[in-house]
Order: sequence, then C-alpha cells, then structure tokens
Amino acid sequence: MSHTDRSSANSWLMLLLAGVFEVGYALSVGGSHGFTRLSWSLVAVVFFLLTLWALSVALRTIDVSIGYAVWAGIGAAGAALLGPVFFDETLTAVQALWLGVIIIGVVWLKLADRPENTPEPATRPQDTEGLVSGPKEAHGAQR
Amino acid sequence: MQWLYLAIADIFEIVVAIAAGKAEGFKNRKWTGITLVSGALGTYFLSRALLTFDVGVGYAIWTSIAGVGITVLGVLLFGQHLNWRKALGIVVIIAGVVGLQLSGAA
Repeated sequence: MSHTDRSSANSWLMLLLAGVFEVGYALSVGGSHGFTRLSWSLVAVVFFLLTLWALSVALRTIDVSIGYAVWAGIGAAGAALLGPVFFDETLTAVQALWLGVIIIGVVWLKLADRPENTPEPATRPQDTEGLVSGPKEAHGAQR
Repeated sequence: MQWLYLAIADIFEIVVAIAAGKAEGFKNRKWTGITLVSGALGTYFLSRALLTFDVGVGYAIWTSIAGVGITVLGVLLFGQHLNWRKALGIVVIIAGVVGLQLSGAA
C-alpha cells in the first residue's frame, strides 16, 4: 500500500518536473532568437528532451488526459509569468486576462479528451488480493 | 509572418503528439525518430514565431492551437466523438486567441 502511494507521489513529482522543464523549454526557445544564439539553443534542446522524458515517465501511472492538462497548464502559465522576468517583455492586464482564458481552455480541453469507450473498472480484483496476501508487491511505474 | 511560422510549428507539434503516442515509451525506433525530428522542426518554427511574439503569448497560442488540432484530428481521423466538453474547450481557446489578437497583444 505504502509502496503504491510513494510511486504515485513520485509520478506527480515527475509531472510537476515535466511542467517546469516545459517552462524552461518555452523560455529558452524564445531566448534562442530563432536558434541564432548557441547557448540558449543548446539549453532549449536539453529542455525539450527533459520535458519529453519526464512527461512520458509520469504518464505511465497518471491518467493521460489529467497529466497533459497539468503539464500544459504549468507550461503556459509559467511561460506567461516568467517571460517578462527573463526578457524585455511586459505582461499587461488585458494580455494576462486573455492568456488566462486560453490556459483555462487548454486545461479544460485536455481534461475533456478522455477516451470514452474505456469505462474504469469498478473494483480491480488484484488490488483486494494484494491487500489480503500482503507481500505481493505491485511494481509501481515499471510497466 | 509570425502567424505562418506558428501554424507550421503547430502542424509539427500535432505530429509529435501522435508519434509520441505510438512510440511505446520510446521503444519503437521509427516513431521515436519521427517524434524527435518533428519536435526539432516544430521547435525551430516556434522560435521563428517568438522573434515577433512575446514568449508567453506565442507559446500559449502555439500549445493551445495544437491542442485544438489534436482534438479535431481525433474526431476526423481516429473516430472519437466531439462531445460538448471538447467543443466548449475549443470555443474558449479560440475566443482567447482572438481576444489576444484584437486587444493588440498578439
């Protein structure tokens, strides 16, 4: 039981990390100035691979639509808030309002994009079995 | 021109989403390769668009339009249903992008 809890917590940590990497990706792609600046460009490539890796690891255990919603929300909000910190940009109230609308739309859409024909099993027999028989460990993220 | 770059970047991002799903945790070499190449090309065109757009604005439009594209393609090509939730999400995103544009922020 505690094993499952920990692996679930790890997945969410990995998902948050993927969101942070995605913010780094957005900012470094902007900072690369059309890939004319070498250091920013290299950082962008590293963040691209990191965000892809972390997201794929997190989505092994977290529901894909929820995972994408959180990841996309963090990425877009982070880029909007941190853009003015790193670059010579301003975030006006009107801009922030419309960006908020877009971000809400993205999160909503990702959440709505669940596969319809796969209803969740009400009770999974192997779970109760695991509780009773004890030492039969679920191998967490290792699918 | 920045809108054209963003549109091209979005096409590659949609390919990334489909290819990454088929890459089976990056064990399938062909789809992993398609994911990485499309990601690189999409990133390049996004960076061109961000020469004009502010980072937060350009990124939000890029990622949200990709989301709309993925949902629409799912309906058109992969037999998913367009329910009211998805439709509402698409409308909200488009309203946000148009609002940004009309307010002069994009």
